[in-house]
Amino acid sequence: MARIDRDVVKKLTQLSRIECNEKERDELQVDLKNILVLFEELQQVDTEGVAPCNTVLEEISNVMREDAVGETLTREEFLVNCPSIGGMVRVPTILPSGSV
Amino acid sequence: MHTLSAIEIRDRFLRGEVSAVAIVRHFLDRIEKYDEEVGAFLSVYADSSLQHAAQLDAKRKAGMPLGKLAGIPIALKDNIHLKGQISTCGSKFLTNYVAPFNSTVTDLILKEDGIIIGKTNMDEFAMGSSTENSALKKTCNPWNLKCSPGGSSGGSASAVAARMVPLALGSDTGGSIRQPASFCGITGFKPTYGRVSRYGLVAFGSSLDQIGPFAANVSDAALLMEVIGNHCDKDSTSLNMPAEDYLKGFDGSIKGMKIGVPWQFLEELEAEQRTLFETALGHFKELGAEIVSVDLSILKSSIAVYYILATAEASTNLARFDGVRYGVRSAKAQTLNEVYDMSREDGFGKEVKRRILLGTFVLSSGYQDAYYRKAQKVRSLIIQRYKEVFSQCDLIVMPVTPTAAFERGAIKDPVQMYFADIYTIGVNLAGLPAVSIPSGLTGDGKPFGLQIIGGQKSDVAVLHAANAFEKITQYHLAMPDLIQ
Repeated sequence: MARIDRDVVKKLTQLSRIECNEKERDELQVDLKNILVLFEELQQVDTEGVAPCNTVLEEISNVMREDAVGETLTREEFLVNCPSIGGMVRVPTILPSGSV
Repeated sequence: MHTLSAIEIRDRFLRGEVSAVAIVRHFLDRIEKYDEEVGAFLSVYADSSLQHAAQLDAKRKAGMPLGKLAGIPIALKDNIHLKGQISTCGSKFLTNYVAPFNSTVTDLILKEDGIIIGKTNMDEFAMGSSTENSALKKTCNPWNLKCSPGGSSGGSASAVAARMVPLALGSDTGGSIRQPASFCGITGFKPTYGRVSRYGLVAFGSSLDQIGPFAANVSDAALLMEVIGNHCDKDSTSLNMPAEDYLKGFDGSIKGMKIGVPWQFLEELEAEQRTLFETALGHFKELGAEIVSVDLSILKSSIAVYYILATAEASTNLARFDGVRYGVRSAKAQTLNEVYDMSREDGFGKEVKRRILLGTFVLSSGYQDAYYRKAQKVRSLIIQRYKEVFSQCDLIVMPVTPTAAFERGAIKDPVQMYFADIYTIGVNLAGLPAVSIPSGLTGDGKPFGLQIIGGQKSDVAVLHAANAFEKITQYHLAMPDLIQ
């Protein structure tokens, strides 16, 4: 069974881009360990030769549409939900000044 | 008026016996009266719903044609978009998020002249079985205010149970419509996967999510299904088949129908619940159905399969909440990476973080085969087993949950909470339709639900059987003391 140690939890919070303090990480470590015990039960099910399920709808695959311009949000509608400047999404400085 | 069915309310409106404005006023008054205690609604659109009602009254007076839902107030779970209104998904992260477009189901309801009266509370991002994971509000069960209404669509279920609205929509990823319907003593239907468009539903587990109706009786749920169950070209998993006529032939007999009961899977059902279930089976026999035993013991693995696949899908779906394009951006963030890390830290609750981490784990290199791929294979086995079972019977019946509503705060261990979904999860894994209908009360006066499950695309048969059961039992007429 996979080991859930502090390093694994730290790695997971980094991959998931969720900042966590040490106390939260410790709690998550305990929860994840308990949940993995539950997941481990699956190893007893014989799946030799069984194909993995990717969709429950067998008849639907690769739905295509015509390559035509459809309805879309206007710039104003889009910017309602985020900080903006000059009609663009505003984010913190990515490159230090003078680096370009 | 609130003791009338949605269909009767509409018909009275169409006959000119009551105005749409009066209908909306009546339900707004009930929200005013009961929602302080119940806590079902996150937003109530008093002004816009009254305006909409006035337009419908004018339309009726002018003799213009009116739709199937004319004059009926309807609530939406707060993960379903209504253009120009906030969709919080029960999360702090989205408290400022204004939906820029309508979901397909919203468009379909409005097209049929339904009136959106408000949006309801839910477990954050639909992750939970008690609505206690909502970051915004506490929702109580109208049957017992100390108890949970179930979840994740607990707001919609409790709103209908307290007759604050005749119809509501929820979403069901692992039981989130059926379990709260059972806890609140009402009808909740989870359609075949792909029957109802997911466009405009905030995604949790995309291979499992399905929108469905809550109502105080089966016919009303069927009416809403007739409107929302249609093909949609904005959802690539939408079934390519026309809307169905659920209410036609609704009074037909189910005589001779074979009903399967998975007894081995129900071994742990306690005595009182077992008795209620056996009484329900007795009613099916009265209706002329034949009860046969079927083997679904593979569903004992369903919790593990579900929590691997649903968390994996959630971890990718929720990656979009990065604080850049929408959602509450952390005020502390100085750099772009801090925008991501801190906004997600501040915005997500504990269960959501837990599930994102779990999903990230089961998809991470080195573990993907052992967990994610393995779960996909067991899912194939579960689908296969259901197919075999449906060659032996027409429908399956079983309880919705092992117990009636539990008290809020009673279940603290996440794994124990996951087991609240043990009887509902299999249906989502196989994409089946299933309805939860009232089947009596426990000794302490809490509703206990019955689940009727059909093969894929047998939504009509499931609702017909539920209607036949409802007609002879009348369990659905029981109402909580709170509103007597």
